[in-house]
Amino acid sequence: MLSKNQKFKWSWLFYLAVLILAFIFPALNPGSYYIQVVSLAFIYAIAVYGLNLIEGYMGQLSLAQAGLFGFGAYAAALLTMKLQLSFWLAVPLASVLTAVVAFFIGLISFRTRGHYFVIFTLCIGVIINLVIQKWDAVTGGMNGLIGIPKPTPLGPISFDSLKAQYYLILVFLLLTVFVMYRLVNSLIGRTFVSIRNSEELAAALGINVMKNKILAFCVAAFFTGMAGSLYAAFIRFIGPDISSPTLTFEFLLYLLAGGQASIAGPIVGTLLMSGLTESLQFLRDYRLLLFGPLLILIVKFLPMGIVGLIHKLASRSPFRRSAAKSLNPSKTVKGEGL
Amino acid sequence: MLRKSKRYVSLLIMVFLVVTVFVSGCGQSAATGQGSSGTAKVVNIGWTGPLSGGAAQFGKDTLDGLNMAVDEINSAGGITVNGQKYTFKVVALDDQYKPDMSATNGRRLATQDKAPVIFVNHAGGTYALQQFNTDSSNPFLLAVHSSDPGVAAHGNKLTFVGADPFTAQPDPYSKQAMQKFGKKLALIPAVTPYGQDWGKAMTSAWTNNGGTVTGTFPMDYNTETDYASYVTKALSTNPDVIFLGGPSQPDGLVIKEARQQGFKGGFILCDQASMEDVAKVVSMTDLNGTIGFMPLSQLSSPGVKKFVAAFEAKYNRVPTFHNSGMYYDMKVIAKGMEKAGSVTDPAKILTGMKQVLPITDDSVPYQLNSINDKGQMIIGLYGTMISNGKYGQPFSITPQQ
Amino acid sequence: MSLFIQQIVNGLTLGSIYCLVALGLTLIYGIMEVPNFAHGHLYMVGAYVTFFGMTLYGLNYWVSALVAGIIIAILGVITERVVFNPLRHAPSSNRFIAALGAMMFLEAAARLLWGADFRSIPPVYDKVLSFAGVRVTEQRVIVIVAAILLIIALNLFLKRTIIGSSIEAVAQNPDGSSLVGINVNVVGMLTFAIASFLAAVAAALAGPIFLVFPTMGELIIMKAFVIIVIGGMGSIPGAIVGGYILGLTESLGATYISMDYKDVIAFLVLVIILTIKPTGLFAKGV
Repeated sequence: MLSKNQKFKWSWLFYLAVLILAFIFPALNPGSYYIQVVSLAFIYAIAVYGLNLIEGYMGQLSLAQAGLFGFGAYAAALLTMKLQLSFWLAVPLASVLTAVVAFFIGLISFRTRGHYFVIFTLCIGVIINLVIQKWDAVTGGMNGLIGIPKPTPLGPISFDSLKAQYYLILVFLLLTVFVMYRLVNSLIGRTFVSIRNSEELAAALGINVMKNKILAFCVAAFFTGMAGSLYAAFIRFIGPDISSPTLTFEFLLYLLAGGQASIAGPIVGTLLMSGLTESLQFLRDYRLLLFGPLLILIVKFLPMGIVGLIHKLASRSPFRRSAAKSLNPSKTVKGEGL
Repeated sequence: MLRKSKRYVSLLIMVFLVVTVFVSGCGQSAATGQGSSGTAKVVNIGWTGPLSGGAAQFGKDTLDGLNMAVDEINSAGGITVNGQKYTFKVVALDDQYKPDMSATNGRRLATQDKAPVIFVNHAGGTYALQQFNTDSSNPFLLAVHSSDPGVAAHGNKLTFVGADPFTAQPDPYSKQAMQKFGKKLALIPAVTPYGQDWGKAMTSAWTNNGGTVTGTFPMDYNTETDYASYVTKALSTNPDVIFLGGPSQPDGLVIKEARQQGFKGGFILCDQASMEDVAKVVSMTDLNGTIGFMPLSQLSSPGVKKFVAAFEAKYNRVPTFHNSGMYYDMKVIAKGMEKAGSVTDPAKILTGMKQVLPITDDSVPYQLNSINDKGQMIIGLYGTMISNGKYGQPFSITPQQ
Repeated sequence: MSLFIQQIVNGLTLGSIYCLVALGLTLIYGIMEVPNFAHGHLYMVGAYVTFFGMTLYGLNYWVSALVAGIIIAILGVITERVVFNPLRHAPSSNRFIAALGAMMFLEAAARLLWGADFRSIPPVYDKVLSFAGVRVTEQRVIVIVAAILLIIALNLFLKRTIIGSSIEAVAQNPDGSSLVGINVNVVGMLTFAIASFLAAVAAALAGPIFLVFPTMGELIIMKAFVIIVIGGMGSIPGAIVGGYILGLTESLGATYISMDYKDVIAFLVLVIILTIKPTGLFAKGV
């Protein structure tokens, strides 16, 4: 009992330190470039948390994520531009709309399983992307939407400066992390994991597998859509590219590098890979040459990503090891999982 | 207890890893902004565009021209502003054609490299950069090389567009094509924003000249694997002339396919294609009756001759129109800086650039006339029609003010 | 009428290429349960090998095609050994992701080695054949005929030879096959070799009609996945039927329905089919 409390304290201290670092970061005057990179990484991290829920905890690899991200972005942009809604109304509305769309997608797509599900969702992503491209009258077609308004001021706080926007995004990120943390540690979260580990067993225990899958997919879509709407307000120009499958693959890379089925994974992976992308700018084409093998090496040797590796290194007690095991999809028997 | 601290240490390593990657990495190109070589100071010129991904070739084409201009200026001793010598250094960042990466690159070039001028070669990146290029903290002159008329349309005070808007081309092209082939036009524009706008401009120019449009068949030149079904469909409307809105080589394949299916009429190419590259895919006889930009190397003015010779010596290949754009843009910028007496204030530099025009000597391949109040440079370009397997006489394309 | 026939010919050409690529993809899936995302990129490398064989080394078109087939077969086996075999027992999402990694690598490597610009394989059979108002180049006829011959040869190989039968056996029951002494490892490598060979030959056949560029694989692989999902993953008749259906849908759909929404139609058809029958039109099995 004592040792458990002790662990609790240590990690608290650590997370507090990270939080403080995140809050004082702009005050260190790192220059707008660093703030831009970190803000963008935070936005992507929110979307990766969505993917983490559906792939990491639920074991359903959805490749429609960029489509949902794009849907959220266009929804928020159109709500603020065409209906003159406030940012504070548009973001939740766009997120909910994305979740609603996901509900209907989920209804159909979860009828399929395994690779069929993966390819089915990939096709859904492609369809969303194509519709955004072709539906000129609403989405601006290939031209995209220009001049999306900045976040509406909240009383005396305006979000004109980059620093203010950084804090705004940070708050949304913390909200996401908090909700995810509570969710995966709740009964619902454990239900998700049990379905991932064995659908048959979960069903035998009386769990409604279909209902839970759809729930996870909707929650994931909610946050992905939210990330999209933040992106729209931050970059203030969106084109159909933000819903292309390549962005889904990037989300996947961030998630795997950080570590799926962990709360720290998405943010660690996104920051690390964004940093790596930026710092390897000088490599240009060689950069992509590195990313492919990196992806393969990660799934081969670090299926749980960097966070998983650190947990593995850190955990020595039998209690921890078994905990790590139960979260490790590479240990599941072939044929299960996805 | 040991175990706990170990865990703590490993968590620290994790944070350390992330932070190091950022601090060491991001600043890689945060080079010596004002580092000196001899007595001359260095001014960084930013560039963001596609260097990987599907549009990489287009990015490299424009960047080559910019690098050549900077090398020429530097080897001539740089520029002199207020008695101080300055040379240039190009800092090029890859944005894979994505607006958010253009924005990130723009921030980096403006703050880390203190670049007073940032080049960009696509509309999406331009819109993203126009959100903050006039910010008081790190303003920079956005030098756009795109013939998309949209880039100059948003009233941004620090945007310089160094290419004629393509809207100047459809009218003279229509006249030429109609005279030779007839009044029926079919369009196969690209589905890109640029291609769509081109198609619309072409349609209105054609109908204004008294012609009729038999059909529009937008095609994704980048994802379509086989163009044959589009060609069949377009030919079934019996056009006299076909407009093609894609990049050079796909255009070439469409022309070849159309000839093989028995089409005898003319073609109009948008300025994304260059005739000399089209001719790599299809024979010159099949190209008879094709109208488009006069290949740079076919023009005979002294400025062109000089540019082509220098480019061939440097890169070992014949330059196309796309290679020349950022070359002359950069020349204007350098002269503008000298005139303005500033290498840091983008507003003054733009004013200086307006004052040094027109440039009609052989230092640039095309005649550069003026810069209007939207920041759009007015250039004199030339079109041509291929006949008898050879490039015809150039005719001038003058943009409306 | 001639418009209709012309579009049928266009659709058959396209369908033949789709077939050959989808056949390899479905074979690999049937044996290894690997959704090989890199398959389209092997097709792309095959096109480049043919291109350089002809332009750089002055080889005959057919020799270049054969060389491309052999080189890509070897490359396919290497991919199997390095990327997929070590992940045989990993969850399927991991294999999916590894396939994406292999795809990214091949594309980046191609762009680095050969540049991003379009190239075109010099035409060899460029003569136009004309009948009843329809004009077709010899190359298109060659594509259609060669695809049919290859499909027949593949079927004979799988049904009439011992090695072929062992591939079928593994597809139907991997555990049982290893019990009766079939080396599942060797069969895996062989499958990759055959599938990659087919992709490379498809690229060589299509090369003189289409353009060669680093992202060409991405376009074809999406189509091939649509085909094998429609046809049922792992099903060979499914891949053949699906390939021709998609090719014809594309050319006829563009003519008679909507050019703008042509691609959407293809994916919508897939979604509708999966909604009605979540395991595809044809059940798994060779």
